[in-house]
Amino acid sequence: MRKTPSSMMAILAVLTLILAACTGGGESPSASEAESMAPESMAPESEAPSESAAPEADFKACMVSDTGGIDDNSFNENAWAGMEQAESELGVEVKFLESRSTEDYARNIDQFISEDCDMIVTVGFLLGDATAAAAEANPDTRFAIVDFAYDPAIPNVEGLVYSTAEGAMLAGYASASWSKTGIVGTFGGINIGPGVTDFMDGFIAGVNYWNEQKGDDVRVLGGRVPSDPESGTFTGNFDSTDDAKNVTIAMLQEGADVILPVGGPIGGGTFAAIEEQNADAVGLGVDVDWTESAPQFTDLLLTSVIKRIDNSVFQAIERAVNGDEPQPVFVSTLENEGVGIAPFHEYEDEIDQEVKDELGALAEAIIAGDVVPSDYYGE
Amino acid sequence: MTAAVATGMSRTEQRERTRQRVLGIIYLVLAVLMVLGFAVATDLTSTFGLSAPNAAIPVPNLVVPSATTVYLLAGVVAFAGAIQLTRGFGSRTALILGLVAFAFVFAFLTWVAAGQSMNLTGVLETTVQRSVPIVFGALSGILCERAGVVNIAIEGMLLSGAFVAAVVTSATGNPYIGIVAAVATGGLLAALLAVLAIRYRVDQIIAGFFINILVTGLTAFLSVRILQPYQAELNTPERLGPIAIPILSDIPILGTVLFRHNIFVYSLFALIIIIHLGLFYTRWGLRVRAVGEHPKAADTVGINVYFVRYTNVILGGMVAGMGGAYFTIGSTGGFEREMTAGRGFIGLAAMIFGGWNPIGAFLAGLVFGFADAIQSRLSILSIAIPSEFLLMVPYVVTIIVVAGLVGRARAPAADGKPYIKE
Repeated sequence: MRKTPSSMMAILAVLTLILAACTGGGESPSASEAESMAPESMAPESEAPSESAAPEADFKACMVSDTGGIDDNSFNENAWAGMEQAESELGVEVKFLESRSTEDYARNIDQFISEDCDMIVTVGFLLGDATAAAAEANPDTRFAIVDFAYDPAIPNVEGLVYSTAEGAMLAGYASASWSKTGIVGTFGGINIGPGVTDFMDGFIAGVNYWNEQKGDDVRVLGGRVPSDPESGTFTGNFDSTDDAKNVTIAMLQEGADVILPVGGPIGGGTFAAIEEQNADAVGLGVDVDWTESAPQFTDLLLTSVIKRIDNSVFQAIERAVNGDEPQPVFVSTLENEGVGIAPFHEYEDEIDQEVKDELGALAEAIIAGDVVPSDYYGE
Repeated sequence: MTAAVATGMSRTEQRERTRQRVLGIIYLVLAVLMVLGFAVATDLTSTFGLSAPNAAIPVPNLVVPSATTVYLLAGVVAFAGAIQLTRGFGSRTALILGLVAFAFVFAFLTWVAAGQSMNLTGVLETTVQRSVPIVFGALSGILCERAGVVNIAIEGMLLSGAFVAAVVTSATGNPYIGIVAAVATGGLLAALLAVLAIRYRVDQIIAGFFINILVTGLTAFLSVRILQPYQAELNTPERLGPIAIPILSDIPILGTVLFRHNIFVYSLFALIIIIHLGLFYTRWGLRVRAVGEHPKAADTVGINVYFVRYTNVILGGMVAGMGGAYFTIGSTGGFEREMTAGRGFIGLAAMIFGGWNPIGAFLAGLVFGFADAIQSRLSILSIAIPSEFLLMVPYVVTIIVVAGLVGRARAPAADGKPYIKE
């Protein structure tokens, strides 16, 4: 053994590579691996429909995730929930591949095309170019892309977009009403575009609307300066909960008592910070109602800004299964309940009935077009 | 120049004189930059919060007129520059350099906080917190490299510590068992590194890199397969909250900055002192340094080189494992993939900038933490600087300040070289 250090290294290195490959589905996308990546509980079910000869069983919907991974508590996980709903309710076969880097986008899409997927769902703004290229090369395959739409439209692609700012505006209004210090805060993971900034901008709009209605002066920390799209507070990644915690502590120390973290899993850092600082403050969830996806934070959760990616993905698959024409742009709004805010749960009693009524009225005004969030983004 | 040589000045003295002059010019340039760059309207004031929300004895806010403060500080820097240029400060050069740096930073903060307020105590508290995992990493590196083994696997050891601490704490309900498990895991990985590096004499950089990939892959795999389905059982560890040290924590400002932390921070303070004293004032430390500088000589006088290297690498791994536990049970209360986000490598940088010295590494870690704390304040206060640029600041500042202040650091002579006993 003493003379063979290199062989020992080689064995260990191979083991390492195997492990690394097992984790990132996108590293070496093969059919068997894609299936093995699916959560254990789903694996048997995904085969069941093909055996039970249901009429739609031969429809195969495939999803390519962004780099956040299928377990990100928000974005990708939410889209996958829509896929799972389609599997159980429409009996379609579903599959996914995780992208581990931006280079995987096109490769994963091609992989699914070679597997004859009937519909390919790509999750995220960043997959825009890869999806357009694949859709134009394969006009017979239907595509749907989350958080992106094409202008001009590509006939076989559905752009699923969300008026997230409408829901976030309601949350901002509620936050401004709850805040005791008159200071609230918001920050994002990476400034990758509307998928993140719509939450932050809408939140600011809600606070500004509150100030206008009430003659109040609630301030927002970390928001963007409208004249400078590059500004605003971002932690620089979607990995480090510790970074998010650091930003939250800074905001708490500057007096904020309601924080909206926009970055999926790193939002947990906000709640850890509030707990650690023993602050009389609350946080907000994003994408889904966090009392369900992260119940451990319920005590400190004022509400969540809802973005029903799952619904829109499900509906896009449903349209495809029914043979309906693809909708070039499908907008989820307050009106069609694609966006909104979650109940206040633990804080139900701390929000006055008056404010709740005003929230209802604001929602109606937004739906009617009398109030437009972008008018309230700031000076 | 030739005149200087003629007067019998040695080359080093001459170089020193040049360095003094360059410093003087830099000070003058800084003063000009302060006047031009941080100019604000004369009617604004900058408010610095000095009191933490939870402080026992509240301290009033420090309110200064922004413009006057900036000009005053610029004047001080210019004055220091003039003296530095003409006759130098001799043995007080480093002190003056520190003062100038302080004046510059304070003028900058005054500019940032003009017309607003900024909690200065909070900045310092964050500084300490942000430096914690970095300094743990640096201490781990010091223990290994002082004995002559390069440990590039600190990042992986931190990540494994974070993972194991989260899982074990969740499963047992006891964070102290979690810490022990994390320390043991760090030690095990280090033992693997030690076997590869010392026994099999594998290139130490490659061996360390391989451990990093192994841990990144393994934790991500287990996170998807095990933590995700059993989130409630395995990934909701109890967090160790801050312990306020009686009396000391009531000291205004300092109490909040230093004595209101959790057990990780206090352990870190203790480790810095213990490792410093151990390395430089005990027999054990002398042996370790001898092995790191000249293993053959150490061997000749009867020191067991392999034994010293094995124990030090394993000790280093244990320190890194403890630092890793900070991420989950000391800070965020849950494991996320790749959550250490490169802190282990920053730790290695802190070790080098700190001259392989625990206290130096701590200071380097604080510089990074301070820049990081300032960076997040700036973006919160909506200063119109792109966030991508701000996020770069801590790294740039660490390089400039520490490289400029410390100058050349020398690694242990036998660092990274396998020892072959004849």
